Amino acid sequence: MNSLAVPAIGGAELHVIEFGDIVNYFSPYTAMLFAFAVLFTVIAIVSRPERQVDIAFGGDAYYTKDIQPEQLKFQRFMAIACGLATLGAVVSGDVFNFTLFTSMVGITNIGIVAAYKNRHVLNAAFQYGIVAMIATVPLFGGAAIILATTGTLSMWELFGSAIAVPLIAKAFLVLGVMGEGMAPFYVAKAEITRAPGAPYVLIIHVSSLLLFLRVVEIVLSM
Amino acid sequence: MKPEGQGSIISRISRALSNYDYLAGVYALLVIIITIIGIVSLPFLAYEDVQVYPKHIDRSSPLDPYDRGGTPFNTTAVHAQYPDNSPYLGYVTAYLTPLSQFMADGSHHLGTTIVSHPGGIIDEILYNTRGLDTVVETSILFVAFTIAAYLFRRKD
Repeated sequence: MNSLAVPAIGGAELHVIEFGDIVNYFSPYTAMLFAFAVLFTVIAIVSRPERQVDIAFGGDAYYTKDIQPEQLKFQRFMAIACGLATLGAVVSGDVFNFTLFTSMVGITNIGIVAAYKNRHVLNAAFQYGIVAMIATVPLFGGAAIILATTGTLSMWELFGSAIAVPLIAKAFLVLGVMGEGMAPFYVAKAEITRAPGAPYVLIIHVSSLLLFLRVVEIVLSM
Repeated sequence: MKPEGQGSIISRISRALSNYDYLAGVYALLVIIITIIGIVSLPFLAYEDVQVYPKHIDRSSPLDPYDRGGTPFNTTAVHAQYPDNSPYLGYVTAYLTPLSQFMADGSHHLGTTIVSHPGGIIDEILYNTRGLDTVVETSILFVAFTIAAYLFRRKD
């Protein structure tokens, strides 16, 4: 097994998991991202959802927003799936595999927000869903351009200095992750986080931030 | 505070961006800009002739376009990035079930069916060297089905 390029941004590889041509690895950087993803997945598994309370001003009345058990189960399932997809994406050693996991994160994020019935949340989630669907084109287009121009998808080869990855493929990759994870588009997220059910909504933020950190490392290394 | 539509350019831009109805449009604009740059830079991109997953299309084969060659119950030379990780590479590529073999003998278009015949049509690469991709693709499908089923069964 060959090793990562010597001045690797994420540090030298610590542990390698082989799935045929897809060789995942832990470096100090990706291991840290992995640990964060594990932590937040565990939080999503064990924690109870928050229950928002609105207090009527000037009186003793207050409203609590209830979460139905079915919605709780569904959102918890989606949050766990989102956490697992994030785990796969941050340690992936293959560009196409990374884009697949990224796409899965986008779909689970849509699932988490689609379970709400609040109108303003669903309005934002609709825009978010459209962006995530558009984003699959640049995301997989970037991977396809990388395969066509370099002949390989393995990051172990691409990170070496012998292979030059075209700038447009990197731009497409970043653009795709931006759309799937919504990392820079906080407008829709601000609306989405007003919905009750804290740990499940927050995994949307965590997954998109971890994905963005990972794609920046990939693009800088290539 | 200045009324709507006034102020510096930055505050006007940020006010427009804070409306999530424009979100898909803003993102589409980014995609269009990058795509135009990509089309302009297209002449400078060269197709790499040494591909890890080469594709040879034999139009006369009944398994066209999925024929990967080789003889059944024998190893076939299939290129992989890391052959050491796939010790059984090349064993399934040429195998057809008896039924599939019968259909391949009688028809010229077996390769255009989407039916999963063991071996042959099923891409050796997907099963042997890039198995994790197959797992993730089906996981995406299952998650999408779960969302659709939940939304369909939800009582409103």
